[in-house]
Amino acid sequence: MFFRIIRNDVLKSKVITLTTMIFVAAASMLVSLAAILVVNLSGALDTLMTKAETPHFMQMHSGDIDIARLGAFAEQNPNVDEYQVVEFLGMDGAEIVLGNHSLAGSVQDNGFSIQNEKFDYLLDLNGNIIQVSDGEIYVPVAYMRDNTAKVGDKAVISGEEFVVAGFLRDSTMNSSLSASKRFLVSSNDFAELKNLGSIEYLIEFRLKDFSAIGEFETAYASAGLEANGPTVTYTLFKTMNAVSDGMMIAIILLISALVVAVAFMCIRFTLLAKIEGDTREIGVMKAIGMRIFDIKKIYLVKYASIAAIGSIFGYILSLMFQDVLLENIRLYMGESENSSYANVFGMIGILLVFFAIIVYVNGVLGRFRRISAAEAIRFGASQEKKRSVKGFSLSSNRLFGTNIFLGIKDVLARKKLYATSLAVLVISAFIMIVPQNLYNTISSKNFIQYMGIGNYDLRIQTSEPNKADEIAKTIERDEDVVNYAVMTTKTFKVKSGNGSEENIKVELGDHTAFPIQYAEGRAPSRNDEIALSTINADEMGKKVGDVLTLVIQGKEQNLAITGIYSDVTNGGKTAKAVFADHSANAIWTIVCVALSDESLVASKVSQYSSIFDFAKTSDIDEFVSQTLGSTIDSIEMVSYVSVAIALLIMVLVTLLFMKLLVAKDRYSIAVMKVFGFTNSDITTQYIVRSLFVLFIGITLGTLLANTFGEMLAGMVISSFGATAFHFEVNPLKAYLFSPLLMVCAVLIATIIGTSRAGEIKISEHIKE
Amino acid sequence: MNRIIIGDRIVKTFGEGDEQRNVLNGVSVEINEGEFVSVMGPSGSGKSTLMYALSGIDHVDDGKVLFNGKDLSTVTESELSDLRRTKMGFVFQQPTMLKNLNILDNIILPAMRSNRKNTAKIVAKARTLMKRVGIAELETRDITQVSGGQLQRAGICRALMSSPEILFGDEPTGALNSQSANEIMDIFTEINAEGTAMLLVTHDAKVAARTERILFMRDGQIVNELRLSKYDGLNFDQRIQKVASKMLEIGI
Repeated sequence: MFFRIIRNDVLKSKVITLTTMIFVAAASMLVSLAAILVVNLSGALDTLMTKAETPHFMQMHSGDIDIARLGAFAEQNPNVDEYQVVEFLGMDGAEIVLGNHSLAGSVQDNGFSIQNEKFDYLLDLNGNIIQVSDGEIYVPVAYMRDNTAKVGDKAVISGEEFVVAGFLRDSTMNSSLSASKRFLVSSNDFAELKNLGSIEYLIEFRLKDFSAIGEFETAYASAGLEANGPTVTYTLFKTMNAVSDGMMIAIILLISALVVAVAFMCIRFTLLAKIEGDTREIGVMKAIGMRIFDIKKIYLVKYASIAAIGSIFGYILSLMFQDVLLENIRLYMGESENSSYANVFGMIGILLVFFAIIVYVNGVLGRFRRISAAEAIRFGASQEKKRSVKGFSLSSNRLFGTNIFLGIKDVLARKKLYATSLAVLVISAFIMIVPQNLYNTISSKNFIQYMGIGNYDLRIQTSEPNKADEIAKTIERDEDVVNYAVMTTKTFKVKSGNGSEENIKVELGDHTAFPIQYAEGRAPSRNDEIALSTINADEMGKKVGDVLTLVIQGKEQNLAITGIYSDVTNGGKTAKAVFADHSANAIWTIVCVALSDESLVASKVSQYSSIFDFAKTSDIDEFVSQTLGSTIDSIEMVSYVSVAIALLIMVLVTLLFMKLLVAKDRYSIAVMKVFGFTNSDITTQYIVRSLFVLFIGITLGTLLANTFGEMLAGMVISSFGATAFHFEVNPLKAYLFSPLLMVCAVLIATIIGTSRAGEIKISEHIKE
Repeated sequence: MNRIIIGDRIVKTFGEGDEQRNVLNGVSVEINEGEFVSVMGPSGSGKSTLMYALSGIDHVDDGKVLFNGKDLSTVTESELSDLRRTKMGFVFQQPTMLKNLNILDNIILPAMRSNRKNTAKIVAKARTLMKRVGIAELETRDITQVSGGQLQRAGICRALMSSPEILFGDEPTGALNSQSANEIMDIFTEINAEGTAMLLVTHDAKVAARTERILFMRDGQIVNELRLSKYDGLNFDQRIQKVASKMLEIGI
């Protein structure tokens, strides 16, 4: 019997059933995808880092190195399990040609290594440790993804010819956020190339127990060992590897939460309408002695069937789509060991959605108790409460046309009913606006200020500090330059609370020339002031106003912390100060240049590149797009997909809502028609209702997007180390095009949804 | 005398295939200006359907309906709407009102559709009509806060807002007690005396006895007709007698 009741019911309301099912399927698909992605990402990441034996601590160093002293340190330190010094042969991008592509425009520090013997292995795409032969070269997987190279290509490195034998995964430098990229060549070839570039050292340690990393870092710094370069630990490697896909997962999770909410709204709305329509039947069933549970069961079984079919579809879809979304993870990290569990977790996610729906439907059906059998039989639909809104009457209305008045009046009179569709519209507006604003923010020129980079046009970086003056002098004479600043980064010792010493990289120079965004406080302006990056401030437990003790030219000096800023460069651990220092060796010097005309950037970059062949000149936009490029691209894609999803939700829900509303309002429509209202009058009224609700929805959605959405996006952005995040809104897009799109979508759906209203036969519905 | 409505061999069919049946089976009828006509007949005889056909609410399947000489089958939906709003008035058995508007708003609703600039005039007219039918004090009430008789009076006010040429009533007193029904019929009689033609569909001999011409229907056809004089408040019992004996005669 159940089957027959449900089948008839479904056949009578095909559109409504189908729409509900689509939302359940979409919600299940997204939840399942999120689960599958999380499991795969964490699994693949672990697999990669385990197989490659990623170093726990890596100190990059350029300049002289005392291998014996390092060896002795490693020998004596009880935490060290293994230790090695790896040579990294840095080479100018212009000297590297892969197939037809030169890496001249690359902002990455491209360099060559040989396969390591103890750990930090470079792996092939099957996850095996690569054994490279003479004449072969293995290329970082990032260059495969952007189609720079393919297997079998000829590679020319400073005139030497190689064959691209394959691609490599590098657990330390895979991420586009990592500034360096390693190519793998054989020991013989490496020896030949060695004189053509500059050697940098990667001093790498694996510890017996990673939890001792803090202790080890302090010991390394206190020992005064080589530290002329960035320091990276295992945790940061992990974060950098996970960040791009992690962001995608975060956005999918957010959208899936919202789509689940929309699915619930749909169910609530259709169910309430159904109950209202069935009140008489429910009353009769109660009157003839059926238990509430028996009556509930009919509805529960129906929704359980819809939810089950929807969930199964959702699961199948998630299995179909997972390959597309896993592509990046698979390429960069390889197959995950626990990928077989991933589908199980996907299924668990779907079961959660399924049971949540059942519980929810059961809850909504609780109102059966309130239906009085006698009333239901006598009056049919349950008696609704007083509906008119005081002080808003047609007779006193001078503002709107009658149809507009009636539309608005209806919304105000049935707030509860419209609240459901309002909630969906708010959510859709939110889904539409947040990714768009996020994309607009991180793709804007100002966003680099959140990354610890000022707003200038190009940067010239050299690790030969004595030549910085030469650069500065040339720049000074250039008439196209409106402003420039020289920033020198040096390593200092900082005293921590318990008296031990750690290394800190401090960027010295005029920080007011190209200001960055400070999360708190301001830039340092006096000799006894310093600003810290967020990560440094967190690790040292320092706040604005605290004092930091630095060892400068052998003397301890107290510096007041004036500000804390976001930084994504150099592992996020930096500081900024203005004091003069002549002792410590500069790690690198950057000359930041602003030009009078942005169109000159390209020509200036090539001009300076040839003048300063010892330095690396890069276009700052290029720098940003190459470090953040893949993230910006994926967020741009997400923002378009979200617009499509939001519009689809709006169209479907409006369609559903209008169909139900017309069915509910048959009587009122018949009344209006008999008294001379035309079909277009009635359509106008429904459009006014839709647009009125939409208007509120857009307003609330936009407000919510710019507050709560900004907060959520801030959480995502903070994974880069950036804080104090504010949306940069493109007003044209956010306040004109998006609302226009929403209006069009809702308008079309309303017109389609109410198209049947004209067919309502007055004579059949006037007698009620 | 001019004819407002001419129905010429009207056929109206419901259902399809084997189930198909003619609810109106070639009905011809004429209504003159200012005439007060009623239609009687058993349930399912087609009297309401006839009213819906003559007022252009339902299309006819064969034959034609002329309103002021205009063939309604050649008129667009919007023109039909305009006709209903400006030339016709309707009163139904149930108080067909919008639940979320108060009494006054329900009354002025059709008039307000296209005539927003004259709101003040429209409201004034509605108040005059409400006063006339004795519901002046109810204007801001919700429709759930007043009695059935009061609602029906409000319905009459709404029908009269456009000063129609003809007023259609489908069992207008069917849901009322006899006291209220009498009062409503008094109002109708008065309105007719002022020149508005009327067509009432009814079961009730007392209602029919107020009209000057009674059409008797059975199985989709007009089977008989009774002509009385205009009701002047006198000899009501005799009129009822005539109606009742006619009903007996034709077996309705």
